[in-house]
Amino acid sequence: MINWGKVWSDFFIFLALTSNIGFIFSHDPYQLVVAIGVNLIATVLKFGVKKILAAELLATAFVADLHLIPAAIFYFSNFHVELAIGLAIGAAVANIISIILLIVEVIFEYIKQEEENS
Amino acid sequence: MRKKKKNIPHYGNVKAINYRAIYEEKFYDILGQLKLPLMMVIFVTMFGTLLFMIVNGPENAVNGLFHTVITISTIGYTEGYSENVALNRFISSIFVMFAFPLGYLYGLVKVLQVLTQSNMGEIYKYWRMYKLMENVQNHYIITPYNQITREIMADFRKRKIPFILIEQDESKRSKIAEEGYNYFIIDEPHKRAVLLGAFIERARGLITAHEENTQDLSVIVTARLIRPDKDNFYIFATATTEGSAEKMKLLGANEVIIPQSTIGKRIVSMVLHPPSPLVSNFLNKIAFGERTDIDITEIHISAESWIVGKALKDIHLRKNTLTTVVAIVKSGGKMDIAPSGDYVIKEGDTLLLLGKPENIEKAKKYLTNPEEV
Repeated sequence: MINWGKVWSDFFIFLALTSNIGFIFSHDPYQLVVAIGVNLIATVLKFGVKKILAAELLATAFVADLHLIPAAIFYFSNFHVELAIGLAIGAAVANIISIILLIVEVIFEYIKQEEENS
Repeated sequence: MRKKKKNIPHYGNVKAINYRAIYEEKFYDILGQLKLPLMMVIFVTMFGTLLFMIVNGPENAVNGLFHTVITISTIGYTEGYSENVALNRFISSIFVMFAFPLGYLYGLVKVLQVLTQSNMGEIYKYWRMYKLMENVQNHYIITPYNQITREIMADFRKRKIPFILIEQDESKRSKIAEEGYNYFIIDEPHKRAVLLGAFIERARGLITAHEENTQDLSVIVTARLIRPDKDNFYIFATATTEGSAEKMKLLGANEVIIPQSTIGKRIVSMVLHPPSPLVSNFLNKIAFGERTDIDITEIHISAESWIVGKALKDIHLRKNTLTTVVAIVKSGGKMDIAPSGDYVIKEGDTLLLLGKPENIEKAKKYLTNPEEV
C-alpha cells in the first residue's frame, strides 16, 4: 500500500532540492521564486511529523529557507548575484542532507516494524 | 536482525505514561492542523509573484511579491506596477478571484482560527509542569484530592516536601489547578502505568486517603507490587474500619489511620486533660506538626559513637548546637524524662532532641562527627 500522505510530503522535499539545483545552474529569477516557494512548503510539511528525526528534518528545512530568502534579497536588489548563487548552493547542501535523513528515517522505521512483528 | 535484550522489571511489561509526551503530541497536532492552510498561503503567494513577474518582467519580482501580499491580505495600499496598467488590472482581478478565497478565507483565517482555538497557553503550562516533574526526587505521591489530602499538601508545601497529586476525577481539574500545586496528574491512581508515570520508582512514599477502602486497597497493592521494600518506600493510608486497616497493613501499608477513631481519641484526651492554653497547645503543635519551626527527633546511640561513656553535660550539646535533650529512652525501653547533666550515656540509648529543624540537623552531624560543626 502506498501511503499517499508520505508521497505528498516526499514529493515536495525532493522538489525543493531539484528546483534549488535548477536555480544554481540557470541563474533564472523565476527558478529562484519557485525554489523559495517549494522550500517553504516543504518546511511547512515537516511541521508536526511525529518521527524519530523530525527535529533534524525541520532544522535542515529552516537552514535551506534561511539561505534562499537572503539569496533572493541579494539577487533582486541587483548586487552580489554571485553571493546569491553561493547561498543557493548552501541551501542545496541542506536539502541533500534532508533527503539523506529521510532515507535514514525509512530504514529506522523498517527496523521498528521488524521488531514489532517479531 | 539483532535483538536487544530488554531488562524487564518484576512487575511485568507495563510502560510508564509519559505525561510530557502527551502534551508534546497535542502541540504537534496543532502544528499539523496548520500545514494545509500555510501551504495554501505560500502557494498562492508564489503563484502571484510568478504571475506578475511574467507580465512585468523578471526584474519586477519584488514589486510582484508586494502586490501579491497586499492583495491576499486585503490591505491594498497601492498597485505594485506603473506600466501596462490595464493588463495588470485585468490579471489582478482574475488573480483575486481565486487568491482571495484560497489564500485569505481558507489560508489566513484558518491559521488564525487554529491558533486562537487551540489554547496553546494551557498546553504549554502542562508541558512545562510535566517537564519539571521529570526532575522530581524523593517525593510523595498523594491521592486523591480531598479534605484530608488538602491538609497534607498544604503542610508539605510549607515544609518544601515535593509531592505529586493524582486525582482521577476530571471535573476537579480546574479546582486543583487553582490551588497551584507544583505537580498534579489527572488519571487513575491504581494503574501501574500512572504510578510509574508519577516516578514511583524514585519516590519516598505514597499517601492514599480515599473514602472507599477498596480504592485505597487497590492503590496500596499496585504501589507495593512496584516497590516491594517496606523500609525504602512508605505507604500511608486511611481506613474506615479496624478490619480493613488490618488488611491494608497485611497488603503492604506501613501505617493506616482510621480517621473516626483518631478523632474520638483526641476528643477523649481533651476531655481528660482540659487544654491549658500554653502547655498542651505547644505539645499538640509539635506532635501534629503545626509548627514548622520546632521539631522533635530521636537519635539512636550506637557502640561506635564518641559520646558513649560520657556525661550528658560534658558533650556540650546545647552550647554547640542549640538543641536540648528532653528525654532519654534506655535500651530496656524505660524513658528518663528531663535527664540530669550527670547522666552517663550508654550504648543503645536513644536521645530525644528538641530544637529548630536546622539545629537538629546540626546536632545529628555533631553527634556523629563533632569536628564538622
